[in-house]
Amino acid sequence: MVSNLELIEAYFNEELSAEQKSEFELRITADPAFADETAFYLSSKQAAASELEENRNRFKGIYQQYKQGNVQQVGKVTPIRKLWPWVAAAAVLAGIILGWYTFFQPVSPNELADRYIKENFQNLAVKMGGREDSVQTALRLYNEGKNGEALKYFETMIDRDTSFAEAKKYAGIVCLRLGRYDNAVRYFTRLENDTLFANPGKFYHALTLMKRNQAGDIDTAKQLLQQVVDLDLDEKEKAVEWLKKW
Amino acid sequence: MPIHPAPHHSFDRDIIDRLRQDGIDRKKGEEQLFSSYAYFIEQARHNFSFSEDEAFNIYADTILAAISQITGGSFEERSSLKTWLHQIFHNKCVDLVRKKATNKNSVNRAMSIPDRLLQMADTAKSVIQQMMEKTDRELIKQKLREIGENCRQLLMQWAEGYSDREIAEAMAYKTADVVKTSRLRCLDKLRQSYKNT
Repeated sequence: MVSNLELIEAYFNEELSAEQKSEFELRITADPAFADETAFYLSSKQAAASELEENRNRFKGIYQQYKQGNVQQVGKVTPIRKLWPWVAAAAVLAGIILGWYTFFQPVSPNELADRYIKENFQNLAVKMGGREDSVQTALRLYNEGKNGEALKYFETMIDRDTSFAEAKKYAGIVCLRLGRYDNAVRYFTRLENDTLFANPGKFYHALTLMKRNQAGDIDTAKQLLQQVVDLDLDEKEKAVEWLKKW
Repeated sequence: MPIHPAPHHSFDRDIIDRLRQDGIDRKKGEEQLFSSYAYFIEQARHNFSFSEDEAFNIYADTILAAISQITGGSFEERSSLKTWLHQIFHNKCVDLVRKKATNKNSVNRAMSIPDRLLQMADTAKSVIQQMMEKTDRELIKQKLREIGENCRQLLMQWAEGYSDREIAEAMAYKTADVVKTSRLRCLDKLRQSYKNT
């Protein structure tokens, strides 16, 4: 006997005959338990896709670090023997300049925030493949520069489901890019309170304050970054790096 | 004659041991595993002409599948981590190439949820939409993390649009049928867990 789940899957995989499809749809309207099972099938697929995306995002930071580290290894291997004195001298000079830049050149929190936003929020990753849900549509709009439209999408998703963490995260990012810092802080604060495997809420909250730069913002941002480090939250490495510069 | 695991470099051992721990050790193991072979991404871009996002997603999925197998004990350590990971990664690359070629002319298997609902008669569609709106998706995600790493990985791969055959290859299941049975059991388990909250 075919289980309900198998039947539901067969329906959405287009494996049923026209008659079986009609029976299936009639059963949805007549049998609330079956309808509930069908709705759960679809909702769980959405939730699992969102979970996968969050998991992938965990690795994005590591990948960025990897790329930055790797750039130094990429280079032309040429007649280095002939040039080695020059190469050595250049390396020492570069080391001095880099060391000076790293340790003595003051970088304001506002500049750090600008750099981070430019590196990470210029474009937001849209999933590959043919699937298209509201989040993906909104991300595409964002990447096309239609920030206002993207924000409306995310806000509608949050209105429908106040626990939708991904929508809160993106709504906050869009507000940050639009310069609506108070709204961004509101979304990130809500995100902070969600229980997630990897939650960047606190870090993004600090980032927004660094960008807004009003009285007291930088001190609060510093405290938030310290919490990111202490609680081992998302973007801990970046928080450590920034705290060292203050 | 018993099959002995191949001798491994202490580097592999270190990563595997970390991944089998909890908390910060495991997280560090995950980061170490990801960084150690991240150059696969560049190779895939070069060899298969993938975009950076495509190559990254395949690599991230490879790492997630590997973590699931290592923590679940199904990685038998008969080859080095690198060889094993490369095999999973390569299979996923080939799957994507195939998928991209097929999707040009056919309906995508991984149809989006709104598309799926569009197929449905209006009355039934409205019932399902109302029920989906009432569903707490964050709670489902929370339950997904509680029903076991294997189930979580299975359902995430399914949600991404991988076929049961592709999942079987990546997650070391014997056949696609076994994947289907396990996947539906996991879905049922997830629903029970959600309902019992």
